Amino acid sequence: MKGLKSCFVKSFSHIYVEEGIEENPLTKEILKKFPKALKVRIKHYKDVFCRPRQNFFVQESSRKLILAAKKGELLYRGPDICHDFGNENFYYTSPALNCIYSCDYCYLKGMHPSANLVIFVNVEDYFKEVEDILKQKPLYLCISYDTDLLAIEGIIALSAMWIEFARGKEDLKLEIRTKSANYSAISYLVPASNVILAWTLSPTEVIKKYEKNTPPLELRLKNIIRAIGDGWKVRLCFDPVLYFENWETAYENLISRTFSVIPADKVNDASIGVFRIPRDYLKRMRKNFPPSEIIHYPYIETGGVYTYDEEVKGKIIEKLWSLLKKHIPEDKIFIL
Amino acid sequence: MFYIVTAYHAEAKPIIEYFGLKKVVKNSRFQVFAGEEVALVESGPGVVASSCATSFLLAEFEATDRDAVLNIGIAGAKNINLKKGDAILCHKIIYHDTKRAFYPDMIARHDMKEGVLETFDFPVIKGNFPEDRIEGDAVDMEGAGFFEAASFFLPPHKVHCIKVIHDYLEGVRVEPSFVSDLIRKNLPLIEGFMSSLESIDCLFSVGLSGKEKEIIDKLAGNLKLTFTMTHQLKNLILFYLSKHERLPGELYDFLNVRVNSKSEGKIYFERIKKLLC
Repeated sequence: MKGLKSCFVKSFSHIYVEEGIEENPLTKEILKKFPKALKVRIKHYKDVFCRPRQNFFVQESSRKLILAAKKGELLYRGPDICHDFGNENFYYTSPALNCIYSCDYCYLKGMHPSANLVIFVNVEDYFKEVEDILKQKPLYLCISYDTDLLAIEGIIALSAMWIEFARGKEDLKLEIRTKSANYSAISYLVPASNVILAWTLSPTEVIKKYEKNTPPLELRLKNIIRAIGDGWKVRLCFDPVLYFENWETAYENLISRTFSVIPADKVNDASIGVFRIPRDYLKRMRKNFPPSEIIHYPYIETGGVYTYDEEVKGKIIEKLWSLLKKHIPEDKIFIL
Repeated sequence: MFYIVTAYHAEAKPIIEYFGLKKVVKNSRFQVFAGEEVALVESGPGVVASSCATSFLLAEFEATDRDAVLNIGIAGAKNINLKKGDAILCHKIIYHDTKRAFYPDMIARHDMKEGVLETFDFPVIKGNFPEDRIEGDAVDMEGAGFFEAASFFLPPHKVHCIKVIHDYLEGVRVEPSFVSDLIRKNLPLIEGFMSSLESIDCLFSVGLSGKEKEIIDKLAGNLKLTFTMTHQLKNLILFYLSKHERLPGELYDFLNVRVNSKSEGKIYFERIKKLLC
């Protein structure tokens, strides 16, 4: 296997730069970090990102970076299959597409035609659109759904920029979701009361088997402890919860370990989400026959979404709910 | 299988010799040579010819996602940092006429230089054509046609243009033996790249084997499974194989069952489902 790995070019060996953004300061900053990368000029990011017949699973072994400016709609209504955590005007935005991690179950594999990482450098346009909406109504905005923003903070400090932008805007509530152990990249910032740092937590068995390249549980917990200690609002996301052999023990261990080190009273809230994925995404993921039991599990389809059958789903929710409510008040637990 | 498209016989000759290819006798417009692992077509010059020959070769040999296709040939260099005889693996191919650009996936390791290829419909000669209107590091007359046609058949990490620098657009006469020499000298580098592509394919060659597909077909026929049930069965088998090395022995017992009605088949299908879940 090790020998075969050497048949790949290193990730980010090539950086595709969209016309018109060469002088953007963020473009320059990113390019400086990859002095050996070959720069390839492109007209539009979709010329590379949306080519037909790309193999996501092959590309994951040698991801390329695409720098672009996002045009058109920049903020989207939050989808029904995501938690709104009781907030009105739930929106999400994608300052980047794709992630440096490779989780077996990740919907991005079915959503995007390519595994390459796209970073949109026109962050000011995003801020303007948020400000325009804020003139009309308050906003609950998730900025790290189609990527893991904190994980790529070393490439470009987008989390920090968004936090500074959100600071003091009372009508704006921001969620930054991550699996990373990269809190140190933003630890120098003064906590913002309207920003929630949300960590996805999974049992060690799941991390090892299905969440390739992600930090181990203990590292994620250490980062959470630091963030809470510094005064950040922290959300714990037990999402997706997966069904596998000995899943109950795995989640019992996860929750008991989590709350043995994290002060439960300091946790902002928590979510439970049983694995679910839009039908078309799963179909696309299955097309390349990845050897993954998560992808090929015989899910049940309801309303265009694949998930476990009602019996399994019920068991999962009941179990996680009973485990979580021992530590967190029921009104702070959100289920989907 | 590797497919190779060249414009001229002088480019094809060293490849034919290197891989021991034999002429395929076929009533076709194109000259085709093939061996166990490699098949080659000579397209003749030009974008349309290259595009037609590429489509012909890939369709004729029924290329699948497991295969790869290369356009190998000579090119003129605009970039003076490229030396005569350098093999260039192109990470961008521009069709000068339409300005449309194509991007192969640069995933497989190689020891060649990289550059941008620009394909023209006419021979580009310095002095006759303004240099500042050439975007590519190298220019040819086939790459873009080849790439567009090949992209209909294969994923972008399996379609590549390799160009060997022949001149600096001085309009020099093309000497066949010199062309063959240039290509021949680079074949070890090209073969190294091909072996990276092959290794990647081995790593990701998942899915169902011929035997497993046969089992599905037989079960679907014997148990009168519907199209949806057959699809579910395929997925269940993939699910089982993602956790186990081989299919359960009990599944083979179902191969001897023949049902008389679809409802009877359903009962067996539920039993198979339980077995594989």
